[in-house]
Amino acid sequence: MKKSKFGKILGKLLGATLLANVVLFIVFFFDLDGKLLYYVVEPFLKKHYDNMERKDVLKDSGYDVFKYEKAPYDM
Amino acid sequence: MAKKFDIKALKKTDWKKVAKDFWYGKPHGERRIGDLYIEKTGLYKHREWRGVKDTMYYFYAVWLYNYAMMVADIMKFGGIVPFAKGVWRYRWVGQTYLPVIHWYDRGLQGLRGEALRASPWHYRGMTSSTIKQFMRFFTSDTRLNGGKQNEHYKTNIAHKETVWGGIFYPWDGELTNLPLEMIPYFVTCHVNSHTVQNYIDAVQSIGLPGDPCPMCQAEAGLFVLDDVPDYAPAFITCNEACDASVASTVLQDWLFDKPLYALPMPMQFDDPLVHKHVMKEIEGAWKFIEEQYGIPFSYEKLVNKLKKQNELMEFEWEKWEVAAKTNYYPINGVAQALYRIYYSQYGDWEVWHECDAKVRKVLEKCVSKKINTFPNTRHRVIAWSCAPLFFSDWPTWAYNCWGLNVVINMDSLMFDMKIRTDSYENTLADMATYHMWAPMRRMAVGGMQHIFELWECMEKFNCDMVAMYDQLQCKGMQGVHGLFEDEFRKRNINAFWMPHALPDSRTVTRAELRRMINDYMTTVMHEEPLDPSLLDFDDSMIW
Amino acid sequence: MKDLKHLIFFEDLLQEANNKLVRQAKDEGKFALGYTCYFMPEVLLDLPGCFSVRLRAPRCTSPDIATYYLSARVCHYARSLMERALEGGYNFLDAQLATETCTATCRFQEHLQQKGLDSVEDMRIIDNDKFFCSFIDVPFKNNENGYEHYKTQLRAHVLDELSAHFGVDTSDGALLKAVEQHNEVCRLINEIGDYRKLDNPTITGYEFSVIVLVSMCCPKELILPYLRETAEEMKSRKPDKKKDYRCKVVVAGSENDDPDFIKLIESCGALVVCDRYCYGAVEARQPIVIEEGQDVLDAIARHYLKTSNCPRFMPQDEMRVRKQRLAELCRDYKADGIIVTSNKFCEYWSYERVIDTVIMRRDYGIPVCSIEKEYINSASGQLRTRFQAFVESIEIKQIQEGS
Repeated sequence: MKKSKFGKILGKLLGATLLANVVLFIVFFFDLDGKLLYYVVEPFLKKHYDNMERKDVLKDSGYDVFKYEKAPYDM
Repeated sequence: MAKKFDIKALKKTDWKKVAKDFWYGKPHGERRIGDLYIEKTGLYKHREWRGVKDTMYYFYAVWLYNYAMMVADIMKFGGIVPFAKGVWRYRWVGQTYLPVIHWYDRGLQGLRGEALRASPWHYRGMTSSTIKQFMRFFTSDTRLNGGKQNEHYKTNIAHKETVWGGIFYPWDGELTNLPLEMIPYFVTCHVNSHTVQNYIDAVQSIGLPGDPCPMCQAEAGLFVLDDVPDYAPAFITCNEACDASVASTVLQDWLFDKPLYALPMPMQFDDPLVHKHVMKEIEGAWKFIEEQYGIPFSYEKLVNKLKKQNELMEFEWEKWEVAAKTNYYPINGVAQALYRIYYSQYGDWEVWHECDAKVRKVLEKCVSKKINTFPNTRHRVIAWSCAPLFFSDWPTWAYNCWGLNVVINMDSLMFDMKIRTDSYENTLADMATYHMWAPMRRMAVGGMQHIFELWECMEKFNCDMVAMYDQLQCKGMQGVHGLFEDEFRKRNINAFWMPHALPDSRTVTRAELRRMINDYMTTVMHEEPLDPSLLDFDDSMIW
Repeated sequence: MKDLKHLIFFEDLLQEANNKLVRQAKDEGKFALGYTCYFMPEVLLDLPGCFSVRLRAPRCTSPDIATYYLSARVCHYARSLMERALEGGYNFLDAQLATETCTATCRFQEHLQQKGLDSVEDMRIIDNDKFFCSFIDVPFKNNENGYEHYKTQLRAHVLDELSAHFGVDTSDGALLKAVEQHNEVCRLINEIGDYRKLDNPTITGYEFSVIVLVSMCCPKELILPYLRETAEEMKSRKPDKKKDYRCKVVVAGSENDDPDFIKLIESCGALVVCDRYCYGAVEARQPIVIEEGQDVLDAIARHYLKTSNCPRFMPQDEMRVRKQRLAELCRDYKADGIIVTSNKFCEYWSYERVIDTVIMRRDYGIPVCSIEKEYINSASGQLRTRFQAFVESIEIKQIQEGS
């Protein structure tokens, strides 16, 4: 009885592994990862980055010409 | 329209051949790799069937293994939270690095046998190093950490990507050197060429003309678009590779606004008189680091790291020896070029040794069993000058389509030296030389005699053809254009020019580059393609 | 204003590199030494027995053969020099003292160099058996290490070469003599140039640029009498009663040896009162000061690195303070605005121009006109429009400020 339970678990594990392998192979072979990234993820992220609020560096970045002095070893 | 089922054709099918192709993969001339692409996108209708053994190898040992290792690396170097924050904040990581496996696909397309077992290790090394660096960005970045300057921030030092990582060896384990542009810009162009266009456009939008080196434009554009992490208290810059690097530094200094040490390298590096000068400048950089971080210089650490780096160089020489003298070299053109420039510029790191150990096994097997790794080689090609970053995998295409085997390239040959560790003086002198021989610079400055070392290298690597890169915005290379034409003619050398704008795939497209090579191979060499499906296909929107 | 007595003669001297005074000096047995960049100290090329010629390629509008060698994507200045060399226009040169300070001119000068290599055939462009080309390495920093390095380079690749090839006297005495001559040229040029600081200047930017250029392109000894006379003449020169300009501007930027470019700006109503560009006087015409007991070559090396405002310099303080100096020039010359120029394909000035354009306007409130130009500006219509618009914008600003 015990043996058959263990066998069942092993069988399930093997089955799940096999299924995972088959699914992953399908993803791999048909380039589904690439397609997901190309058609869904990248356009979504691009939209996000394009609409992101960014600092206007030309207006907001100070330029203190005397901020940094020559170091003694670089005189 | 669906294909009509043709019973007659089915009857004529040579099932033995079908079975053989299934088991071993189709022979080179019958592969029709170009038919696998979905129009415009460069995506695959399905990935290539390479025969059972090689397909399974690619599936498990390249595709699945690398996806798993990427997750492992992200967890190892900081975890999912900083990664997610970084992806959300920075375009260059989200847009670029998620489709990294496609970068593998493009570079490793068509490979079989031992070449398929060795080349991906180079990709693995680069991927791991990239993840390590961007994770360090994110765990240190004040923008992602509520404005806090945490321990990571305080122990990072920023530097221009052309400052060699070896400069920071004396602080191994105490400071982390992170090049400013290598991950946000340089590596992105190879993986997803769309990203960089945003940065080039950004810097031109503030009035920069379109003609300066596009690499420096992109590096400056990162700052203009406010897409640089705030990850370190100080910055070391450099004049390498060219005038534009110097010029763009002014803009970087303004917008990064941190204490900066300039580490300029002499242009006339053959002159023995310049050595003392550059040695002092390197020492100046070390003093700057000591002053900024309060951590003393350690010669012992420097020597230990240099010894490790020398091991990398020794193995590179072994690889070159095999590449030059035999047909057994299992690394393809793109893996050779990218890995070499990456590790020699970034400096020593454990992952390079791990990858080299894997490659060594394959290399030794190829040599001992005399395995011809690229059996359809028609021409052994040397690629010269600076390469099109957006199409760095062109050698893979060229081999599959025409049997052009890019054995070696100019960038690989730049840091061609070991560094002595027997005394402080010798170490410093060799470090100076090493730094002066930086990428895109060893052959490009210091007298035009260096760029004409092509003939010597061509002979050394037993090449019969030159792929002459023509970076349209590189003033140094444009300035020797005519002399190369003269010499090619005089020496009767088979050479094709490849004009390009380094990272910018819009100036000269991949399709145009392929067409130029096709035209050369048909009209000058009078050859037939090995795989006609690769001659002309639309990948205009490819990553 | 009354025409300057020697202006036409000066203009004539600028029509070709091998001009009347150059030929005269050559006839006297002197060696003609070419150079392109400020970082090749002209004073060293003006040692007794030789003279410096800062290379120009006037009227070179179509550098076709040079374009084959250097390609169309390299700055027009370098290509024009190359074309002129290929035409035989520099065959009078006995040597070219070269710098790798910008890629384009470096490549041009490398084509002149006889390398004797197997890997690339020498072109023998300069048809002169004595001719040689020697390169120096110029530091990117004006620190002690930079001065030492520069001095070593000047000794080895300029003085020792001149001595070995032509037997030129490179002793301290000879150097001192050259410095004295150089300083007299500087004194005269500055004296003439200072009239641009007047409220109503008595010299135009065009006239001044012609005078500065002849002082760079002609043997000093031979041009000096004309400069002295011009300086004297300037003392009594009266301005026009009615101002013929609408505003004053500083021109800053990359290489410019074309007085017609200055003329073009002035024809639009902007008087050019200061010339901070390669071939301008702001840097090149500062006298060399030798402290008591100081080594002459050391003083020369320090002078050239300290006076340069080249965007090639990389120390952080230096990169930043250049903007301040530009603003100070505006103040000193009472200029109303700045025209920042960069030659097409000039990497250094492409960036410097963009940054100057933002910083000068934003942090110093100085109006800026930012333009990209060619070496010879044949298509002047577009530039004219830009300058006219700039002048108008300055006038509007002045009206708004009630001045």
